[in-house]
Amino acid sequence: MTTPFVKGDYDPRSKLVLVLGLSSLAVVFDYPRILLPLALATVLCALYLRSGVLGSLVRMRRLLWVFLAMGIIQSVFTRGGQPLVELAGVALVTTTGLERGVSIILRIFIILVSAGIMTTSNPRDIIQGLYQWRIPYELAFMVAVAVRFLPLMREEAEDTLTALQLRGVRLEELPLRTRIRTYGYLLTPLIAGVLARARQMSLSVEMRGFRAYPRRTSHRTLVLDGRDYLLMIIALLLVSGAFVAHFRPGPL
Amino acid sequence: MIRALGASYRYPGEGQVVAPVDLAIHASDVTALFGPNGSGKTTLGKLLAGILKPTSGRVEILGEDTRTLSLGRIGQRLGYLFQEPDRQIFTARVDEELALAQRLRGVPEDDVLGRVEEMLDRFRLEHLRDAFPFDLSRGEKQRLALAAIMINRPPFLVLDEPTTALDVVRKAELSALLSQATEGGVGMLIISHDRSFVARHATRILELSRGEIVDDYSVR
Repeated sequence: MTTPFVKGDYDPRSKLVLVLGLSSLAVVFDYPRILLPLALATVLCALYLRSGVLGSLVRMRRLLWVFLAMGIIQSVFTRGGQPLVELAGVALVTTTGLERGVSIILRIFIILVSAGIMTTSNPRDIIQGLYQWRIPYELAFMVAVAVRFLPLMREEAEDTLTALQLRGVRLEELPLRTRIRTYGYLLTPLIAGVLARARQMSLSVEMRGFRAYPRRTSHRTLVLDGRDYLLMIIALLLVSGAFVAHFRPGPL
Repeated sequence: MIRALGASYRYPGEGQVVAPVDLAIHASDVTALFGPNGSGKTTLGKLLAGILKPTSGRVEILGEDTRTLSLGRIGQRLGYLFQEPDRQIFTARVDEELALAQRLRGVPEDDVLGRVEEMLDRFRLEHLRDAFPFDLSRGEKQRLALAAIMINRPPFLVLDEPTTALDVVRKAELSALLSQATEGGVGMLIISHDRSFVARHATRILELSRGEIVDDYSVR
């Protein structure tokens, strides 16, 4: 016998449709004039679904400069359009370059903020929702584990960066090349941590009988209600509307 | 060494973890922050070490407000040993790990190599110099992390739960290394709930309960 899940929150599946829609649009389009309203829509969705947008950005503040640097690099190395900044007759920043840089920053922003929406759901519910959509349980479990461990990985990355600086390494004063190489050192503890955790978790889930039987039954089930369908319809309309607007004949 | 002036801390969106505290930690002391799990020891330790910035009041390290100090500059004033050694190991070899910060700080290579040998010897890591650090035992990783801090010759150490997951023998080894450091004039702030370890090393004990210092006394 199954018991329906009594909820006060949106079903994780409706959130997933919204997140997939927003992040797909962010990947497909690379014009600031589309990405900017999309970023605004993403923030509004995140606020409505009570995902801490500002909190997420504050927690990622140490990585934000990396995204900013990616935007600047794109601005400088992409040629085309009118020159905006010139040095000795050589165009350093062009309109096309600037547009590409801004697009990169907006795109990463949309993906991060929309991904944050999924962290407002219980990982167990995400697995259950995907399983009810006939996604193989193993895949659903992996997705949920990834969502569950993202905040932990961010915390580890911050601790690691702190630990390195507390050895008296003044990152802000290192030459750019050394600084980039130094950031590479942070990957070692991160990867080692992920591998160790994966090993422990695989042992732990197998000890609890993971995949012991070919078919799983579930005590609790998720039920999509009117609000969920409405959210999914809005998300699908948003995505299809953006595609139609973009691919229709004539200027955008 | 460290002064807290009405310093308090709350994590964003949460209640106050550390109540306003006025405190002076002296470099000549081995001060212990002692209390049960969840009493705010680690948060207060990070606040005093300048890793966290106070939400009200001020913390000074050697007279400088921690809000104005970057982590790199704090690291030149004190060493901080995290509870989890895996998060403070960066390279694929033990000897490279010891040399890393020295090289990044621009210390001449001859001096770096000399100091690495000294640390390998002092922390009994010679036989592991080529080893992959993540393959070491917990006690060895702890020694490596401590050696990688001590190679910078900090005048003061903050140790967060240094005895976690160490057996009696490893704990005794760590005690001996810390005693050696204090004899060399290194001051310490030890964050711990291990009463016997604290009793062995501390000259002053600060007892914490629910984010407040409820007792402050000298033991020697």
